[in-house]
Amino acid sequence: MHEASIALSVLEIAVDSCRKAGYNRIESIRLKIGRASGIMIDALLFAFNAVKADTIAAEASVIIDEIAVSGLCSSCDKDFVTEEKYVLCCPECSSASFNIKTGRELEIIDMEVF
Amino acid sequence: MKVEVVTRILEANERIAAENRRLFDKATVYVINLMSGPGAGKTSLLERTIKELNGKIKTAVIEGDIAGTSDAERIGSLGVPVIQINTGGACHLDANMINEVLESLPLKETDLLFVENIGNLVCPAEFNIGEDMKAMVLSITEGDDKPLKYPLMFQESSALILNKIDLLPYTNASVEKIRKDAMSLNPSLKIFEVSCKTGKGIAEWAEWLTEKVKS
Repeated sequence: MHEASIALSVLEIAVDSCRKAGYNRIESIRLKIGRASGIMIDALLFAFNAVKADTIAAEASVIIDEIAVSGLCSSCDKDFVTEEKYVLCCPECSSASFNIKTGRELEIIDMEVF
Repeated sequence: MKVEVVTRILEANERIAAENRRLFDKATVYVINLMSGPGAGKTSLLERTIKELNGKIKTAVIEGDIAGTSDAERIGSLGVPVIQINTGGACHLDANMINEVLESLPLKETDLLFVENIGNLVCPAEFNIGEDMKAMVLSITEGDDKPLKYPLMFQESSALILNKIDLLPYTNASVEKIRKDAMSLNPSLKIFEVSCKTGKGIAEWAEWLTEKVKS
Protein backbone atom coordinates (compact mmCIF):
# COMPACT_ATOMS: atom_id res chain seq x y z
CA MET A 1 0.00 0.00 0.00
CA HIS A 2 2.76 2.50 -0.62
CA GLU A 3 0.63 3.98 -3.40
CA ALA A 4 -0.52 6.37 -0.65
CA SER A 5 2.99 7.74 -0.15
CA ILE A 6 3.46 7.94 -3.93
CA ALA A 7 0.18 9.90 -4.17
CA LEU A 8 1.43 12.27 -1.46
CA SER A 9 4.69 12.82 -3.38
CA VAL A 10 2.75 13.53 -6.57
CA LEU A 11 0.61 16.05 -4.71
CA GLU A 12 3.62 17.76 -3.09
CA ILE A 13 5.54 18.06 -6.36
CA ALA A 14 2.46 19.26 -8.27
CA VAL A 15 1.43 21.87 -5.70
CA ASP A 16 4.99 23.13 -5.48
CA SER A 17 5.42 23.36 -9.27
CA CYS A 18 2.05 25.09 -9.65
CA ARG A 19 2.90 27.75 -7.05
CA LYS A 20 6.36 28.27 -8.52
CA ALA A 21 4.79 28.89 -11.92
CA GLY A 22 2.58 31.52 -10.27
CA TYR A 23 -0.79 29.73 -10.46
CA ASN A 24 -3.29 28.70 -7.79
CA ARG A 25 -5.32 25.80 -9.15
CA ILE A 26 -4.39 22.51 -10.72
CA GLU A 27 -6.77 21.14 -13.32
CA SER A 28 -4.95 17.99 -14.36
CA ILE A 29 -1.67 16.20 -13.76
CA ARG A 30 -0.10 13.88 -16.33
CA LEU A 31 1.99 10.97 -15.03
CA LYS A 32 4.20 8.49 -16.83
CA ILE A 33 4.01 5.08 -15.17
CA GLY A 34 5.92 2.04 -16.36
CA ARG A 35 4.13 -1.29 -16.26
CA ALA A 36 6.98 -2.73 -14.18
CA SER A 37 7.12 0.19 -11.74
CA GLY A 38 5.21 -1.84 -9.17
CA ILE A 39 2.46 0.75 -8.99
CA MET A 40 -1.18 -0.30 -9.08
CA ILE A 41 -2.80 2.51 -11.01
CA ASP A 42 -6.25 2.06 -9.47
CA ALA A 43 -4.77 2.19 -5.96
CA LEU A 44 -2.73 5.28 -6.86
CA LEU A 45 -5.80 7.10 -8.23
CA PHE A 46 -7.82 6.11 -5.18
CA ALA A 47 -5.09 7.40 -2.86
CA PHE A 48 -4.64 10.61 -4.85
CA ASN A 49 -8.35 11.37 -4.63
CA ALA A 50 -8.10 10.98 -0.86
CA VAL A 51 -5.05 13.20 -0.36
CA LYS A 52 -5.98 15.99 -2.79
CA ALA A 53 -8.97 17.25 -0.72
CA ASP A 54 -8.59 20.78 0.63
CA THR A 55 -5.58 21.54 -1.54
CA ILE A 56 -5.18 23.55 -4.75
CA ALA A 57 -5.41 20.17 -6.51
CA ALA A 58 -8.81 19.33 -5.02
CA GLU A 59 -10.45 19.38 -8.47
CA ALA A 60 -7.48 17.91 -10.31
CA SER A 61 -7.76 14.84 -12.49
CA VAL A 62 -4.85 12.50 -13.06
CA ILE A 63 -4.01 11.36 -16.58
CA ILE A 64 -1.75 8.35 -16.81
CA ASP A 65 0.49 7.40 -19.73
CA GLU A 66 1.27 3.74 -19.18
CA ILE A 67 4.66 2.72 -20.54
CA ALA A 68 5.19 -0.84 -21.77
CA VAL A 69 8.23 -2.85 -20.80
CA SER A 70 10.84 -2.85 -23.57
CA GLY A 71 14.43 -3.90 -23.86
CA LEU A 72 17.35 -4.87 -26.03
CA CYS A 73 18.56 -8.46 -26.18
CA SER A 74 22.31 -8.88 -25.84
CA SER A 75 22.27 -12.23 -27.66
CA CYS A 76 20.16 -11.61 -30.78
CA ASP A 77 20.59 -7.84 -30.68
CA LYS A 78 16.86 -7.25 -31.27
CA ASP A 79 14.71 -4.63 -29.57
CA PHE A 80 11.58 -5.98 -27.98
CA VAL A 81 8.39 -4.62 -26.44
CA THR A 82 6.23 -6.85 -24.31
CA GLU A 83 2.83 -6.79 -22.65
CA GLU A 84 4.36 -8.63 -19.67
CA LYS A 85 5.33 -6.77 -16.53
CA TYR A 86 8.48 -8.79 -16.02
CA VAL A 87 10.74 -10.15 -18.70
CA LEU A 88 12.39 -13.47 -17.90
CA CYS A 89 13.94 -14.05 -21.29
CA CYS A 90 14.16 -12.39 -24.69
CA PRO A 91 10.80 -12.88 -26.46
CA GLU A 92 12.67 -13.40 -29.76
CA CYS A 93 15.43 -15.83 -28.90
CA SER A 94 14.73 -16.83 -25.25
CA SER A 95 18.13 -15.65 -24.07
CA ALA A 96 18.32 -14.57 -20.43
CA SER A 97 20.80 -11.87 -21.30
CA PHE A 98 19.06 -8.56 -22.06
CA ASN A 99 18.79 -4.99 -20.86
CA ILE A 100 15.48 -3.43 -19.94
CA LYS A 101 15.04 0.02 -21.48
CA THR A 102 11.58 1.15 -20.42
CA GLY A 103 8.88 0.07 -17.99
CA ARG A 104 10.16 1.30 -14.61
CA GLU A 105 9.10 4.95 -15.09
CA LEU A 106 7.42 6.84 -12.28
CA GLU A 107 7.34 10.50 -13.26
CA ILE A 108 5.20 13.59 -13.38
CA ILE A 109 5.34 14.89 -16.95
CA ASP A 110 3.32 18.11 -16.90
CA MET A 111 0.08 19.58 -15.67
CA GLU A 112 -2.67 22.03 -16.59
CA VAL A 113 -2.97 24.90 -14.14
CA PHE A 114 -4.93 28.13 -13.99
CA MET B 1 -1.87 26.92 -18.94
CA LYS B 2 0.46 23.95 -19.25
CA VAL B 3 3.35 23.62 -16.79
CA GLU B 4 6.19 21.23 -17.62
CA VAL B 5 7.23 19.30 -14.53
CA VAL B 6 9.22 16.21 -15.61
CA THR B 7 10.14 15.10 -12.11
CA ARG B 8 10.65 11.60 -10.82
CA ILE B 9 7.93 11.01 -8.26
CA LEU B 10 10.38 9.36 -5.87
CA GLU B 11 12.91 12.13 -6.33
CA ALA B 12 12.58 13.27 -2.71
CA ASN B 13 13.45 9.75 -1.55
CA GLU B 14 16.36 9.52 -4.02
CA ARG B 15 17.72 12.84 -2.79
CA ILE B 16 17.70 11.75 0.86
CA ALA B 17 19.13 8.35 -0.12
CA ALA B 18 22.03 10.18 -1.78
CA GLU B 19 22.53 12.21 1.40
CA ASN B 20 22.60 8.96 3.45
CA ARG B 21 25.08 7.58 0.92
CA ARG B 22 27.38 10.55 1.53
CA LEU B 23 27.21 10.04 5.31
CA PHE B 24 27.98 6.33 4.92
CA ASP B 25 30.91 7.02 2.60
CA LYS B 26 32.30 9.67 4.92
CA ALA B 27 32.29 7.21 7.82
CA THR B 28 33.37 4.31 5.51
CA VAL B 29 30.44 2.13 6.49
CA TYR B 30 29.21 -0.65 4.21
CA VAL B 31 25.40 -0.79 4.32
CA ILE B 32 23.17 -3.75 3.58
CA ASN B 33 19.43 -3.39 3.12
CA LEU B 34 18.13 -6.78 4.29
CA MET B 35 14.67 -7.69 3.04
CA SER B 36 12.28 -10.68 3.16
CA GLY B 37 8.70 -11.66 3.83
CA PRO B 38 7.65 -11.84 7.50
CA GLY B 39 9.16 -14.75 9.39
CA ALA B 40 11.78 -15.75 6.81
CA GLY B 41 14.51 -15.29 9.43
CA LYS B 42 16.07 -11.86 8.92
CA THR B 43 16.69 -11.30 12.62
CA SER B 44 17.93 -14.86 13.14
CA LEU B 45 20.31 -14.42 10.21
CA LEU B 46 21.59 -11.18 11.74
CA GLU B 47 22.14 -12.85 15.12
CA ARG B 48 24.15 -15.64 13.50
CA THR B 49 26.05 -13.31 11.18
CA ILE B 50 26.96 -10.81 13.91
CA LYS B 51 28.29 -13.64 16.11
CA GLU B 52 30.27 -15.02 13.16
CA LEU B 53 31.77 -11.61 12.36
CA ASN B 54 32.48 -10.79 16.01
CA GLY B 55 36.04 -9.57 16.52
CA LYS B 56 36.61 -9.22 12.76
CA ILE B 57 34.08 -6.64 11.64
CA LYS B 58 32.29 -4.02 13.71
CA THR B 59 28.58 -4.20 13.02
CA ALA B 60 25.53 -2.10 13.85
CA VAL B 61 21.86 -2.63 13.08
CA ILE B 62 18.80 -0.57 12.23
CA GLU B 63 15.67 -2.61 12.92
CA GLY B 64 12.54 -1.73 11.00
CA ASP B 65 9.20 -3.03 12.22
CA ILE B 66 5.65 -1.82 12.04
CA ALA B 67 5.44 -2.08 15.84
CA GLY B 68 7.37 -3.43 18.80
CA THR B 69 10.99 -3.63 19.91
CA SER B 70 11.54 -7.39 20.25
CA ASP B 71 13.98 -7.58 17.29
CA ALA B 72 16.06 -4.69 18.61
CA GLU B 73 16.20 -6.39 22.02
CA ARG B 74 17.45 -9.61 20.43
CA ILE B 75 20.20 -7.74 18.54
CA GLY B 76 20.98 -5.48 21.51
CA SER B 77 21.67 -8.52 23.69
CA LEU B 78 24.61 -9.31 21.38
CA GLY B 79 26.24 -6.06 22.43
CA VAL B 80 26.12 -4.28 19.09
CA PRO B 81 24.61 -0.82 18.56
CA VAL B 82 20.99 -1.08 17.44
CA ILE B 83 18.23 1.40 16.69
CA GLN B 84 14.58 0.43 16.33
CA ILE B 85 12.39 2.22 13.82
CA ASN B 86 8.65 1.67 14.18
CA THR B 87 6.85 2.72 11.02
CA GLY B 88 3.44 2.62 12.68
CA GLY B 89 1.91 0.89 9.67
CA ALA B 90 4.07 1.76 6.68
CA CYS B 91 5.07 -1.32 4.72
CA HIS B 92 8.69 -0.36 3.99
CA LEU B 93 11.56 1.79 5.24
CA ASP B 94 12.37 4.86 3.19
CA ALA B 95 15.48 7.02 3.01
CA ASN B 96 14.08 9.66 5.34
CA MET B 97 13.35 7.20 8.16
CA ILE B 98 16.97 6.04 7.95
CA ASN B 99 18.29 9.59 7.77
CA GLU B 100 16.48 10.51 10.97
CA VAL B 101 18.18 7.83 13.08
CA LEU B 102 21.70 8.01 11.65
CA GLU B 103 22.98 10.51 14.19
CA SER B 104 22.08 8.08 16.97
CA LEU B 105 24.45 5.43 15.56
CA PRO B 106 28.24 5.37 16.03
CA LEU B 107 28.88 5.30 12.28
CA LYS B 108 32.57 6.09 12.61
CA GLU B 109 33.09 2.99 14.76
CA THR B 110 31.05 0.81 12.41
CA ASP B 111 32.31 -1.23 9.43
CA LEU B 112 29.05 -2.85 8.45
CA LEU B 113 25.52 -1.53 9.03
CA PHE B 114 22.60 -3.89 8.53
CA VAL B 115 19.23 -2.33 7.90
CA GLU B 116 16.54 -4.91 8.59
CA ASN B 117 13.59 -3.80 6.50
CA ILE B 118 9.90 -4.42 7.21
CA GLY B 119 8.84 -8.03 6.57
CA ASN B 120 7.29 -7.66 3.13
CA LEU B 121 8.32 -9.18 -0.20
CA VAL B 122 7.01 -6.27 -2.25
CA CYS B 123 7.46 -2.63 -1.27
CA PRO B 124 10.90 -2.54 0.41
CA ALA B 125 12.51 -3.42 -2.94
CA GLU B 126 11.27 -0.16 -4.44
CA PHE B 127 12.79 2.35 -2.04
CA ASN B 128 16.51 3.04 -1.97
CA ILE B 129 17.83 4.04 1.42
CA GLY B 130 21.41 4.78 0.36
CA GLU B 131 22.63 1.20 0.80
CA ASP B 132 25.62 -0.43 -0.87
CA MET B 133 23.72 -3.64 -1.43
CA LYS B 134 20.27 -5.14 -1.13
CA ALA B 135 20.12 -8.71 0.12
CA MET B 136 17.08 -10.90 0.70
CA VAL B 137 16.16 -13.90 2.78
CA LEU B 138 13.74 -16.52 1.51
CA SER B 139 12.94 -19.41 3.79
CA ILE B 140 12.50 -22.77 2.13
CA THR B 141 9.12 -23.21 3.84
CA GLU B 142 7.71 -20.25 1.90
CA GLY B 143 7.74 -22.40 -1.23
CA ASP B 144 9.70 -22.48 -4.46
CA ASP B 145 7.21 -20.35 -6.41
CA LYS B 146 8.27 -17.08 -4.78
CA PRO B 147 10.87 -15.81 -7.30
CA LEU B 148 8.33 -15.71 -10.12
CA LYS B 149 5.56 -14.36 -7.88
CA TYR B 150 7.63 -11.54 -6.37
CA PRO B 151 10.20 -10.86 -9.10
CA LEU B 152 11.28 -7.34 -8.21
CA MET B 153 12.95 -8.21 -4.92
CA PHE B 154 14.89 -11.03 -6.57
CA GLN B 155 15.94 -8.65 -9.34
CA GLU B 156 17.06 -5.91 -6.96
CA SER B 157 19.00 -8.12 -4.56
CA SER B 158 22.68 -8.94 -4.89
CA ALA B 159 22.42 -11.91 -2.54
CA LEU B 160 19.68 -14.43 -1.79
CA ILE B 161 19.94 -16.28 1.51
CA LEU B 162 17.87 -19.45 1.41
CA ASN B 163 17.13 -19.99 5.08
CA LYS B 164 15.66 -22.95 7.00
CA ILE B 165 17.42 -25.30 4.58
CA ASP B 166 17.37 -27.91 7.38
CA LEU B 167 13.60 -28.14 6.86
CA LEU B 168 13.90 -29.00 3.17
CA PRO B 169 13.03 -32.71 3.65
CA TYR B 170 9.70 -31.70 5.20
CA THR B 171 8.61 -29.49 2.30
CA ASN B 172 7.77 -29.95 -1.36
CA ALA B 173 10.09 -27.08 -2.29
CA SER B 174 12.79 -27.55 -4.89
CA VAL B 175 16.02 -25.66 -4.32
CA GLU B 176 16.85 -26.20 -7.98
CA LYS B 177 13.63 -24.46 -9.06
CA ILE B 178 14.31 -21.51 -6.76
CA ARG B 179 17.87 -21.25 -8.11
CA LYS B 180 16.77 -21.52 -11.73
CA ASP B 181 13.93 -18.97 -11.45
CA ALA B 182 15.91 -16.52 -9.33
CA MET B 183 18.89 -16.68 -11.67
CA SER B 184 16.67 -16.12 -14.70
CA LEU B 185 15.43 -12.93 -13.04
CA ASN B 186 18.91 -11.89 -11.93
CA PRO B 187 21.86 -13.73 -13.49
CA SER B 188 24.39 -12.13 -11.12
CA LEU B 189 22.52 -13.14 -7.93
CA LYS B 190 24.69 -14.85 -5.30
CA ILE B 191 22.77 -17.62 -3.53
CA PHE B 192 23.57 -19.03 -0.08
CA GLU B 193 21.84 -22.05 1.44
CA VAL B 194 21.80 -21.60 5.20
CA SER B 195 20.12 -22.75 8.37
CA CYS B 196 20.06 -20.24 11.18
CA LYS B 197 18.89 -23.12 13.39
CA THR B 198 21.93 -25.37 12.80
CA GLY B 199 24.41 -22.75 11.58
CA LYS B 200 24.91 -24.44 8.21
CA GLY B 201 26.14 -22.08 5.49
CA ILE B 202 26.61 -19.10 7.84
CA ALA B 203 30.42 -19.15 7.60
CA GLU B 204 30.35 -19.01 3.80
CA TRP B 205 27.88 -16.10 3.82
CA ALA B 206 29.89 -14.23 6.47
CA GLU B 207 33.09 -14.73 4.50
CA TRP B 208 31.48 -13.33 1.35
CA LEU B 209 30.20 -10.36 3.35
CA THR B 210 33.64 -9.74 4.81
CA GLU B 211 35.12 -9.55 1.32
CA LYS B 212 32.44 -7.06 0.29
CA VAL B 213 33.07 -4.88 3.33
CA LYS B 214 36.83 -4.90 2.90
CA SER B 215 36.83 -4.31 -0.85
